[in-house]
Amino acid sequence: MRIPCPYCGERDAHEFAYLGDATVTRPDPAAADAAQAFHDYVYLRDNPAGAHQEWWYHANGCRQWLRVARDTRTHAIAAATSARVSGEPA
Amino acid sequence: MADHSSHDPLAGIPFDLVPPSGAYGAAGEASVTVSTVETPFIALVVARNGFAASVAGRLGRAFGLEIADRAGAAMGAASTVVGTGPGRFLVLSKTEPDLAGTLRALLGAEAAITEQDDAFVTFDLAGDKVPDLLAKGALIDLDPRVFLPGHAATTVIAHVGVTLWRVHESGWRLLVARSYEASFTRFLVASGAEFGLRLENGTAGRG
Repeated sequence: MRIPCPYCGERDAHEFAYLGDATVTRPDPAAADAAQAFHDYVYLRDNPAGAHQEWWYHANGCRQWLRVARDTRTHAIAAATSARVSGEPA
Repeated sequence: MADHSSHDPLAGIPFDLVPPSGAYGAAGEASVTVSTVETPFIALVVARNGFAASVAGRLGRAFGLEIADRAGAAMGAASTVVGTGPGRFLVLSKTEPDLAGTLRALLGAEAAITEQDDAFVTFDLAGDKVPDLLAKGALIDLDPRVFLPGHAATTVIAHVGVTLWRVHESGWRLLVARSYEASFTRFLVASGAEFGLRLENGTAGRG
């Protein structure tokens, strides 16, 4: 599998570390149901057969985080974009 | 059964020491020359959020080079600037003893500067067979029709992290973390032996 890194170009998957589901959002720790929300956020994952959004870290390249749209059945990658947009607050 | 060890160009050389200078592999004119050069002054520039273009411009004006925020090497007589990531530039100089200080004065709050003088060993590879040698360990396309002079890449070769760029038609330069020198030199010798390889380095025997 090759991932089209926006900075480095197409690179072998071995250069990357897989960091999991990019669709979950960190819950508000101050909310009343924070404990349950964090349990779901940390442990519960869908396992879609098909289109998926994932975090990949280009450890042996530009050392940037990427958001990759991958089809879990075919490994076809529809898009890979930088997780951080330059100029936005960190 | 054939004694394969007699064909091993590294036979008898301790695996944890840098192999000595000399000719390895195929007899005759060496098709690949490997030398370790002292690039004394190196610093990493990481542009702060939103300042990548400004930093590229300032570096370009200061060093008289055409620098863009991309994976490329801008080379001058005394200095080279290599893009290693978005807003990240590795600056190499032959003439600036306090390179990090010079860059801090130049870039101020727009970038974080880290001195890297002792971080890397610099390999100069010359010869038309260099892409064939590197192909044995690389995951990227280094075909000379694709990877052109001025192109740069940060990647892995033989499982070792490398920043490399093509200096000219038949010259490539590789930066490898210094502690990998012995191991990476062995990869170069083993992979270049079939072409005939001449190794010139002043650090033989170092672990």
